Amino acid sequence: MIGITAYFIRRLLQSILVIVGVSVVVFVITRAIGDPARMMMPLEASDAEVEAFAVRMGFRDPLHVQFWNWAKNAVRGDFGDSLWQRVPAMELVLERLPASLLLCFTAITVALLASIPLGILAALRPRSWLDKLTTSFSLIGVCIPDFWLGLMLILVFAVAIHLFFTSGYGTPRHLILPAVTLAARPWGRITQIVRSSMMDEMHRTYMMTARAKGLTEQKVIISHALKNASIPIVTLAAWELTRMLAGYTIVVETVFAWPGFGYLALQAIQRRDLTLIQADVFVVALIVVAMNISIDFIYATLDPRVRLA
Amino acid sequence: MKAKSGTILIAVLLVSLLAGACGAPAPPPPEPTTPPAATTPPEATTPPEPPPAPETSIVIAIGGDPSTMDPQYADDGNERDVNDNVYEMLLHRDPASGDIVPGLATAWEEIDDTTWRFTLREGVDFHNGEPLNADAIVYSVERIIDPDFNSEQITFVATVTGAEAVDEHTVDVFTSGPDPLLPARMTWMKIVAPVYTEENPDDFLVAPVGTGPYKFVEWVRGDHVTLEANEDYWGGVPSIGKVTIRPIPEEATRLAALQAGEVDLVKGLIPEYLDQAPKAVAASGLEFPWIRINTNTAPLTDVRVRQALNYAIDKEALAEALYGGYAAVAQGQILTPGHFGYNPSVTAYPYDPQMAMDLLEEAGATGATLELVGESGRWLKDKELVEAVAAQLEAVGLDIDVNIAEWSDWLDLLFAGAEAAPDLQYSAHDNVLLDADRTLTGMFTTGGSQAAYGNPTVDQLVEDARTETDVAAREAMYYEAVQTLYDEAACIFLLNLDNIYGMSENLDWAPRLDGRIMVNEMTLVE
Repeated sequence: MIGITAYFIRRLLQSILVIVGVSVVVFVITRAIGDPARMMMPLEASDAEVEAFAVRMGFRDPLHVQFWNWAKNAVRGDFGDSLWQRVPAMELVLERLPASLLLCFTAITVALLASIPLGILAALRPRSWLDKLTTSFSLIGVCIPDFWLGLMLILVFAVAIHLFFTSGYGTPRHLILPAVTLAARPWGRITQIVRSSMMDEMHRTYMMTARAKGLTEQKVIISHALKNASIPIVTLAAWELTRMLAGYTIVVETVFAWPGFGYLALQAIQRRDLTLIQADVFVVALIVVAMNISIDFIYATLDPRVRLA
Repeated sequence: MKAKSGTILIAVLLVSLLAGACGAPAPPPPEPTTPPAATTPPEATTPPEPPPAPETSIVIAIGGDPSTMDPQYADDGNERDVNDNVYEMLLHRDPASGDIVPGLATAWEEIDDTTWRFTLREGVDFHNGEPLNADAIVYSVERIIDPDFNSEQITFVATVTGAEAVDEHTVDVFTSGPDPLLPARMTWMKIVAPVYTEENPDDFLVAPVGTGPYKFVEWVRGDHVTLEANEDYWGGVPSIGKVTIRPIPEEATRLAALQAGEVDLVKGLIPEYLDQAPKAVAASGLEFPWIRINTNTAPLTDVRVRQALNYAIDKEALAEALYGGYAAVAQGQILTPGHFGYNPSVTAYPYDPQMAMDLLEEAGATGATLELVGESGRWLKDKELVEAVAAQLEAVGLDIDVNIAEWSDWLDLLFAGAEAAPDLQYSAHDNVLLDADRTLTGMFTTGGSQAAYGNPTVDQLVEDARTETDVAAREAMYYEAVQTLYDEAACIFLLNLDNIYGMSENLDWAPRLDGRIMVNEMTLVE
């Protein structure tokens, strides 16, 4: 128990370092590229008007002064007002978080539910038509641009047959299309990894032992082979989920007008809304760190040989 | 399978814990704040009414989520698409001609060099029951020009120094010098309700209260804004009872939503989709793509070279090929006929590649290498336009070096000043004040923020016109300035783009010159 606590504390300290580091880097980069004042004012604004605006916004203070002002408030949980929307930036991000979480978790659930049975079946009958079909479709799933897939799904399922809505948020009829679009790539990759890890495990000697002691084939596959094959599957699924949560949803959210924080981040970048970018990146960094820590614990649960050291 | 569901469960728990731990839980979307109203009619205070009959409600898709509902802060078209229906200005524009017409003011006059007097419409109330009076105008003026407020719109009211109530329905607006543009500025500045704004500074940012034809109902950020007809509107009760405005950033999705019948009007329909929309309408808009010439570098110092650049461009072909015909050739000026100062006797340089080649030959500039800076994604067909222009310039014997710059680099180059400006740079201009001053000052006067051209004659004309209050004399100055810029070929004049909207079959509406989406001008037909 002591080991786990010490491990957890160490990971937490590392995570804080990561988050601070990311915040500093983003702070510097966003201020190094272009004048935010110019981007906020109309093109026709005169130089004097832009300059006055920039001074009042604090963009002309030395960088370390700007950083200090930001950091001393950030540690108190105050990330400042969005420059563009003039309301607390963190509030905007957190308001959008549930929509993105719903989308990402639905997508990864869809991907897992569709990939694991298919991957196992394909592994059990290598070179069968089912295997060939699974392999080809999973490849398509990985390669297909989500932008194109999303629009095609809209055209078929929302315009041609009115089964779902083209865009927006609120009901399962809004959720299905963006979730399926977002799931395509993780589905393809997870299917491939389930298939190949299962094929590896099927030839191990412990499988023969399990069968020899009279277990049903179903039990052999699920409790023995799948459990042992699960480490790479979990790694990949977690990585795909992390990537989605870290902003990979931008395209899907844009195509489906889904009010998530990926699209918010895109707008923040386009408008050079420095405080909003900062708050957004902070939340993403927290999510990534939390995902990594939870994955470590899952490994330990799945494989007793993994020590949290 | 157990391990899998465990994974998901643990992950969900951790992330939700995290979301809870790093701040307050996500706040609910802004409540449909009912304005603090004691005097609103009884049905307005009851919770959201049952949806009106379907024929009286419409859904409009716009390009993005409004940044705020404060009508005086942001320079944001998405915000305007909503607030144009909720707030009003002292003066309005005629939908088709762009002429200034009465709005919240019924009469206006210049009483001395720095004072304009407005007579307010009587019997108008804000949606919360506050009366529209001189104090509301004074409050609105002082709010937008307050340096601490730091409005992005300050440039639209740059000359305004204050306002003062004369009596309940008469108000004076002061300017720093003679300002013939003041009426135009007052078609921009929205009038806010002083008591509501002052007492509910936070609500004000999310729940607007104006005098316009529609009342605010709710705003779910990123998803929709709902408005309902103002039964007491002074201009007559709008025929459409309920409006939902949805941000749909992707053009193809906007079209799909229209085809699927989920929305009735989409803004910014792209020319490729015209045939697929149930119905499309267009009207001449305010946007002018143009190409700035840096007249300080050889060979562009030579007027013959600059004229050659204009002769070399086949404007009709660009309008047809890139914009499906929904663009007009700019008539040798970056102004529409609706702008004050538009010179009707100036017409576009004809497409004449032979003339262009002869002029280049004469100037000894054949084969010269010119850099053309463009950008991608900000305006309709911006990159394609730059590439087409480059191809046409190469066809007359120039060597064009196209540089599609990232937005912030593009901005830096645009505002780099005349010395550092690239030879040629694409930009787009949009002058909502409908007066030549804003266009000419920024783009064609020495030291103008995006100018790479300077001519003492034009400088003098523009400066004098800025404070000339005699309308005819002022117009004559702009005629001369426009003619000079044309003769001098001060830039490459290209096109004036239309605003294109896709509509459902049963919606009837004529788009406006100023691009405002006014729902009270729309009707639903069978």
